Parts: sequence; structure tokens; C-alpha cells
Amino acid sequence: MDRIQIPATSRSPLVDFDFPAGRLLLRGESYPEDAATFYGPLLQALRACLEEGGGPLTFDVALSYFNSSSAKALMNLFLPLEDAAEEGREVTIRWLYAEGDDTIAEAGEDFAADFSHARFEMVQETAA
Amino acid sequence: MLATDFMAFHEASRRNGIILSFGGDLSENVLFSLGEVLKLRMQQGATDAAVSKRVFSVFVEQAQNVIRYSADKLVPHGSPDGSMVSAGMIVVGIEDGRFFVACGNEVPGEQVTGLRARLEHIVGLSGDELRKYYRERLRQPADEGSLGGSIGLIEIARRSSAPVEYDFQARGDDRCFFCLKAFI
Repeated sequence: MDRIQIPATSRSPLVDFDFPAGRLLLRGESYPEDAATFYGPLLQALRACLEEGGGPLTFDVALSYFNSSSAKALMNLFLPLEDAAEEGREVTIRWLYAEGDDTIAEAGEDFAADFSHARFEMVQETAA
Repeated sequence: MLATDFMAFHEASRRNGIILSFGGDLSENVLFSLGEVLKLRMQQGATDAAVSKRVFSVFVEQAQNVIRYSADKLVPHGSPDGSMVSAGMIVVGIEDGRFFVACGNEVPGEQVTGLRARLEHIVGLSGDELRKYYRERLRQPADEGSLGGSIGLIEIARRSSAPVEYDFQARGDDRCFFCLKAFI
């Protein structure tokens, strides 16, 4: 599975899904015109990557804002990761949020509740 | 005469604390542009960052609800999410020191019962219950006929400081006018 890199726009996040390196990243704001069109291909690629098997996988999610359609899409990305972890793959999700951003921190806790096999880490980023 | 009428309208908006109001055909591009000026207005008004984010979030969910669920569509249902254009209105303002976001659009009459039931349920939930309900809905497949996560209304309620207000007005045809107002 090849690496997927998509630059950020003012309403969609930077995507860097480096499957060969086992590192995935979303960073920015997410309220795309059509969440299904934006996230659908990413979900397909992730599923294909998980089917291939392989080493540890780390997914960094650093979103400063996302709408409800994006929340749904994120959950769709997380579910196969949790399944893969249950089957023995080493999966870590790192939820990055800015210091003082309670809304995003709380959203991370909402997602964290659904993981029992994959590691879900809350990572506070200090303002540069 | 022209200026008198328009100024009266303009002044009435000001008096009612309205900082943004849009009526007509709403697209994702219009949503984006209105959102940008809304952010700018809140920045200039030195609005608390957390409040600004909540207002923006409620604005996006309401505008996307109009685009997706208004019965009055210029570019119809079935076209990709991002290209839909639908008529409705969206208003952001300040009332008694609190931001509000309100929207209005026509809905098909047969959807009123279901929509009313969902809103009644959401309005009756406490903050903790809303959070729990949101988590549940996030894991479930979207409702039939729902294009988004069907969690937009819960998101609006979670970001509001008081129960959301809503109302329906029969039009005498097969559609109903629906409106929703959320205080942040």
C-alpha cells in the first residue's frame, strides 16, 4: 500500500498516511464539503493496509475542529484499527489537542471509550 | 423610499443583535464564506476562543442541515453532498449577552413527526446524557435518509447553553416550515 499525502485546505486536514512506515497523520480542520468523498478513499486504503498485515501502526489525529460528519468518518477509520488490534496488530492512536482546548480533549475522551485493544493516548500539545 | 426601507431593515437587524443573516440558496461554498466572516467578526469582538469555536460549530451543523435537508432544492438530492444547493435561512446574533444561531427551511410534511420526536428526545437530555447519546450514535450506522452522521442535532445541543428551541409552521401544502434556535 503506497503512501497517501494530501495537503491541508482551509476546510480539510493535511493527510499523511505513510503505510510502509506504519505512521498515519491527520492535522488541521475538518469540515469538508462532502465527508464521504474525502474520507472514503482513506478508509479503503486503511482497510487494504490492515489486510496486508505488518508491523506496528501509529495514527496521529491532530484536528483543531471537525464537524459531525467528520466525527462519523473518524469513527469509521477507528473501528477497523480496533479490530486489527484485537487480532494482534500493535495499534496506537494518539489524539493530539492544544493546551486548553477542552472541546477537542473531550471529543478525544469520547472516542477513547471505544477502544480496548488499540492504545489510545491523549497528547496535549503546548502552544509554540 | 428605497433607502428608507432598506435602512429600516438594516436598523431592525442591528437592534435585534443580528451580526449575520442569510436567506436564499445555500451551498457549501456559501457556508464556508459566511463561516469565514463570522470567525473574523468574533475575533474582532474579542469573543472568548471556546465560545467562538462553539458558535462556529453550531453554525456549520445548522447550515449543513439546511443544505442537506431543506425540501426546497436548487440542486437536488442525489447529487454528491458537496454540490447540493438548498434554500433556507441562517442567522447569527447576540441576545442578552449570549450568541445564538438560528436556521429555517422547508421540510417535507411527512418528515415532521420523525424530526419532532428526535428533537423532543434531545431537548429532554442533560449534558451527560447528551454526551452518552452522542457516543452511541457515533457508533451506529446513519439513519435512513440521513446524509451526515445523524448526530448533527446532538452536536448542536451539546454546544448550546440552554435547550434548543424549535418550531414547525404548516404551509397548507405538503411542506412545513421548520426552524431551530440554539443559544451558545
